[in-house]
Amino acid sequence: MSVLPADGAGPASAGTDVPDGDVLVRIEHVTKHFPVRTGGLIRRTVGQVQAVDDVSLVIPRGKTLGLVGETGSGKSTLARCVAGLIPVTGGRVTFDGRDITNLSRRAMRPFRRDIQMIFQDPYSSLNPRRRVGAIIGDPFAIHKTATGNERKRQVQELMERVGLNPEHYNRFPAEFSGGQRQRIGVARALALRPKLIICDEPVSALDVSIQAQVLNLLTDLQKDYGLTYLFIAHDLEVVSHVSDSVAVMYLGRIGEVGPEGAVYGSPRHPYTAALLSAAPAADPDTAASRQRIILTGDVPSPIDPPSGCRFHPRCPKAQPLCAEQEPQLEAKPGDVETHQTACHFPVVPGEDLAAAAAGRSEVA
Amino acid sequence: MILAGQHGGIGYGMQRLPCRPWCLAPGDTAGGRTTVALLEVRDLRVSFTTADGVVQAVRGVNFDVDAGQTLGIVGESGSGKTVLTQTLLGLTPGADVAGTAKFEGTDLLELSEDQMRRIRGARISVIFQDPLTSLHPLYRVGWQIAEMIRAHDKSVSKKEAAERAVELLRRVGIPRAEQRATDYPHQFSGGMRQRAMIAMALALSPALIIADEPTTALDATVQAQILDLLLRLQHESGTALIMITHDLGVVADIADDVMVMYAGRAAEKAPKRDIFYEPHHPYTKGLLESIPSSSAAGDRLRPIPGQPPSLINLPAGCKFHPRCGYVMDRCLTEEPALRPVGETGVHASACWLPVAAAGLGEKAEELREETVRQGRGEAAAEVAEASAADVPGAAVVGIDGEGAAG
Repeated sequence: MSVLPADGAGPASAGTDVPDGDVLVRIEHVTKHFPVRTGGLIRRTVGQVQAVDDVSLVIPRGKTLGLVGETGSGKSTLARCVAGLIPVTGGRVTFDGRDITNLSRRAMRPFRRDIQMIFQDPYSSLNPRRRVGAIIGDPFAIHKTATGNERKRQVQELMERVGLNPEHYNRFPAEFSGGQRQRIGVARALALRPKLIICDEPVSALDVSIQAQVLNLLTDLQKDYGLTYLFIAHDLEVVSHVSDSVAVMYLGRIGEVGPEGAVYGSPRHPYTAALLSAAPAADPDTAASRQRIILTGDVPSPIDPPSGCRFHPRCPKAQPLCAEQEPQLEAKPGDVETHQTACHFPVVPGEDLAAAAAGRSEVA
Repeated sequence: MILAGQHGGIGYGMQRLPCRPWCLAPGDTAGGRTTVALLEVRDLRVSFTTADGVVQAVRGVNFDVDAGQTLGIVGESGSGKTVLTQTLLGLTPGADVAGTAKFEGTDLLELSEDQMRRIRGARISVIFQDPLTSLHPLYRVGWQIAEMIRAHDKSVSKKEAAERAVELLRRVGIPRAEQRATDYPHQFSGGMRQRAMIAMALALSPALIIADEPTTALDATVQAQILDLLLRLQHESGTALIMITHDLGVVADIADDVMVMYAGRAAEKAPKRDIFYEPHHPYTKGLLESIPSSSAAGDRLRPIPGQPPSLINLPAGCKFHPRCGYVMDRCLTEEPALRPVGETGVHASACWLPVAAAGLGEKAEELREETVRQGRGEAAAEVAEASAADVPGAAVVGIDGEGAAG
């Protein structure tokens, strides 16, 4: 089963397609706005950063949902909403059949064991003054599941599991390389046998040769422990490698979602097509032959997002309709039911978007 | 060792100057050479003395860059790629530097700070990774570009310089350039800042631009814009480019020649296609194989085991041997020099594997494995076992010729 938007009104309602038992996380119409305040004594609210706007997604148990998007697309904010680290402005997050939206600290506590995070920067996410054994052992201490020698034994087991030398229990993070530090982060996330691990750019800070080590480790752990991943990255190849299904975010909204093969094989949203064509391919022949879709301009500000389809000012296919009416996520003709696109004029296979984009940039 | 043989430029329909056999050993002169390279670096060595010991950042690197050519320098963190180029620009104070770097006939390493200042920015300019820290936050963008023009040529009036700054901003695709020239850097987005940096780098029509990870901090769609711009401007002005990056995708896009660095040395140097389709050095091969690609989704990746060595405490012999799947006995003690490999004559690799063992095909793999079977004694077998145990699934040739790990 793949990811479905959980839009109850849509034809592909997740409630009917995916039995509840197979769904670990259900994100329904989640919205997160941050107020923008003026400086000074009286802090008036002058606007809202619409970081996440009406996002609905489903993550099936034991699967990986890849979340792709550029800086400011809201993917990390969405992840933090799912983890319960920040309250949502609207919508609902259901974990394992139970509503965890905006729970109090105390009520959230049991779920914290089940939902863990791995962060991007293994240099700033580990306390430099604490020993690795203590860092990995923290979850046991906080949740009072193991103490003393038993905790040490479990920590060493974890270290071994993620490919660290258990004898390095007493070392400080500074004594480890970037890849090893990320393994420490993985071990810490794994400590309480969580059901869901949210990986926020887990390999972006690592060198290519090390990146592959960590990706393989994540794949193995998923297989062994039946883990579910929400995997956020800006590297499309990495996301493609690990994900069962992929959601593409742009300015707080989902532009396209579907099985990995469908989204990468025949992208329907012009933004997805542009992203895929822009990703550097480590193959000179592919690089020389493919037609790059060069978008004009930058991502607009989420404080004042464009009307209608948020992508329309940069879209090579934009029509007047796009500025007026917001497109809904829906399966386009010829696509499988789970492959849904929010676009009035979806890309047709074989269409030359690159030429359209080039023509547009000359006008602009 | 003299390699005569020229290869044509690869890429974007531009007529390239004949490229020289640039994988020569130090001190060699090429036979039949008709042009002098724009930049000739010979046996460059850079080390820093620190409290922990001597950091050998660059350990004998040779390369040439011709006018209008793009050289891609690829390597992981700590491979010495940034120190290498900063040394060329006199930006590594306190370092022990040896070797020569002839640029337009003068040795950059012998220049005084004053002489260097005249070349830096005017003849060689730099684009750094992070445009926010390389632009001054308190001065207007247009002013910064104009200032740079006037710093090198006082005869240009302030008004004229300001006009040229606007023209440059327009050339790098900044909309409404007259107005944007009066903006401060924080009013620019990341992509626009990098465009402004490129405008500044182009201001005095340099012969060489060094771009140090210019797109690493940018999003994919903006990266595509910037690479596109760099290529277009290079065509227009015939500027040579050294592109430093860890991203093989960027190299595949814009380089003519590629130098893969490992532990302060060139592991492999070749025209782009040879690096990607006929790699000889196991490190290059490992890098290529460890990139996830959508075509092989679901398969396990083949990472390189271990991690890059500390530059203070380098291993003996080939610096890559502790991570190499093809480690043999001689690799433990003798460091291989760059030598010509493959069939093209312009491809060089620093590896003890036979010169014919280039490529990703089965035949090359058989040759590599056969060589390893003969060349691997007990000592090397131990190293191979250790690295196989370190990372399950890594590409390590077992003594019986099969993948040792599962």
